Amino acid sequence: MATRLLNGRKLFYLSPALLAWIGLLGLCIIIGLVSAYQVFKNGLYITNMSDSVPWGLWITIDLSSIALGAGAFTLSAVVYLFGLKRFQSIIRLAVFVGFIGYTIALLTLIMDIGRPDRFWHPWVYWNIHSVLWEITWCITIYLAIMLVEFAPVIAEARFFNRYPWIRKATKYLHRLAPLLALLGLGISLLHQSSLGATYGIVKSRPIWFKPSMPIMFILSAVAVGPSMTMAIAYVAEWVTGKKNIPTDVLRTIARFSGFAIMIYGYIRFWDLAAVTYYGRTPSVSESFNLLSQQTPYNFSFWVFEIILGVVLPAVLFLTPRFNRNPGYLVIGAIFAVIGVVINRWNVTVGGLFVPLSYSPGTLYQLEPGKYFPGLPEWGIAIGIIGYGLSMLTLGIRYLPLFSKEEHA
Amino acid sequence: MSKKKTKVKLELNRRDFLIVGGTAAGSVVAAQLLTTGPLSPFASFKQAQVEGGEETSTQNARHHWGMVINLDKCIGCEYCQRACSATNDVRVDETGEDQDQGNNRPEKPWNIVVQDRTSTGTPFFFSRPCLHCGDAPCVEVCPVQATYHREDGLVIMNYDRCIGCRYCEIACPYDARKFNWQARTDVNPFIPTWGIAEVERRPRGVVEKCTFCIHRIDAGLKTGLMPGEDREATPACVNICPVGARIFGDLNDPDSKVSIAIATEATIRLREELGTEPSVYYVIPKEGL
Repeated sequence: MATRLLNGRKLFYLSPALLAWIGLLGLCIIIGLVSAYQVFKNGLYITNMSDSVPWGLWITIDLSSIALGAGAFTLSAVVYLFGLKRFQSIIRLAVFVGFIGYTIALLTLIMDIGRPDRFWHPWVYWNIHSVLWEITWCITIYLAIMLVEFAPVIAEARFFNRYPWIRKATKYLHRLAPLLALLGLGISLLHQSSLGATYGIVKSRPIWFKPSMPIMFILSAVAVGPSMTMAIAYVAEWVTGKKNIPTDVLRTIARFSGFAIMIYGYIRFWDLAAVTYYGRTPSVSESFNLLSQQTPYNFSFWVFEIILGVVLPAVLFLTPRFNRNPGYLVIGAIFAVIGVVINRWNVTVGGLFVPLSYSPGTLYQLEPGKYFPGLPEWGIAIGIIGYGLSMLTLGIRYLPLFSKEEHA
Repeated sequence: MSKKKTKVKLELNRRDFLIVGGTAAGSVVAAQLLTTGPLSPFASFKQAQVEGGEETSTQNARHHWGMVINLDKCIGCEYCQRACSATNDVRVDETGEDQDQGNNRPEKPWNIVVQDRTSTGTPFFFSRPCLHCGDAPCVEVCPVQATYHREDGLVIMNYDRCIGCRYCEIACPYDARKFNWQARTDVNPFIPTWGIAEVERRPRGVVEKCTFCIHRIDAGLKTGLMPGEDREATPACVNICPVGARIFGDLNDPDSKVSIAIATEATIRLREELGTEPSVYYVIPKEGL
């Protein structure tokens, strides 16, 4: 029977806490499904996006989930390319988290495009000059790479006892791990920075049009992605009560994240100085004036992006007083994640708030773009978070994510 | 504690290498065959498009359609906006109903007419169709080439290919693009007073924009008419203008009305510093801008 004891633990035993957790996740997913049905039925009309702000919360989710999935390629490169083998124990979790992040991005994109039935067009009709085309391809390829990297873990599940040849095949695939890590590194560096370029190349909007955009996107992804994996490892440890990944590994990852966040913070300040002070143009100054006068842009930049997203995580990850305590590390990771999400939101919605100015006269001005996500948009966001957490829960419970076994 | 130093090594013997290499090469060939090659389920699809375009492409290459809008003559009557909205069946929000419902989404027309003022304070009227840029940001960013350049300078939408990602709306420096947020059931208030719909309504979920009335240009050229000279082949906004503020024609032809206007009058193009090379020129007011 399925409920028989396995390794001294019932496979399908549900504690009240777990039951409540599953109920919560189920509720989130139901909210998401209802919202998705509404959106598919009525179109994007029921969202709060408009012709002046055509991108909103969903694009923020795409950008954030891909950035937070960056732990997969970073840690794979660390283990398989730089040969730091003691991080091997977290690779599986990192790839799994990355996989969840990328599928979240794809699911949200499906909701966001006006014609979900044509989602396959970028693969057939190529516009090699489009960054968005390049991103679509990179995400697809990288998702495939992660699937191949992750195949041996899935094949270890009990279900595959019946099919030893599959297990053998995936073990064979695993010998390609260094090659996959190299491919993943290249592809990730490409699309993580291209996500920034999506905004950086738009010359019609002064506060986006700058070469630092791709740099800041990739740096923040590399800095915060691994700390997200680290935090999930700790939370999994607390929930399951099993110490799977050595503390020193997690602490080293946190310290790496701390240093990387400091580098990101430095670039962020350099960029701030460049666009508002020594490299400013009248249109950029005007845009920032408008943003700071009419939106809480300044507040959210300083409080969420800088203090919460850069300063606090750097302190918590780097000072010995805090980084010996897993609690502080997890809090630091949560802060850093909030910082990244708010950053992506500020870039997208802030840039679209500033109206275009193209009239040759002095009177005609477009209205600033007003946007706050509507109910269906929040519904999709809740559903998508529910999906991510469900995958994580299932993975931690049923997949050998922390197996000590060595396959290489 | 002595640690055994282990190194992760890529162990590939010749057999593995051949298998991996062969798989990779095979995948590339298969992908090629399936996407652009003869095995592609979309092959007939693409072929049809190529064949359809070929007929007119040699003819198109000779022309570069452009417009001159005289800001000095424009009286702001909005006839061009209405004729455009009728001819192309553009969704307009005459009643303001959408805003009443708390929906902050004004339905902008393809062709806007607004009041403006020069730096010296003289009022004038400014109108803007799609500028059909020679180096169009929207064409560059579209991930599926749903919007593209035709050889005659027009920037065209392929409504059957657009996935509705709205990146072109974000990239357009002139706010000339409009998304279909919902399926169309509205009654167009400008039909039939200002013209009849000459093109199909666009489906929900695609981006649309001014086409310079491409259906008139193409049909006109086939019957030997010259766009800009013959009314049947000329955009609706140009035909209806009561003061002749808009002229249309071939920028490649030095004797066309547009070329003569550009050669003899003081003209500007919008946001020229971006290098988008618009095909729409503006004759500036006599007092200057």
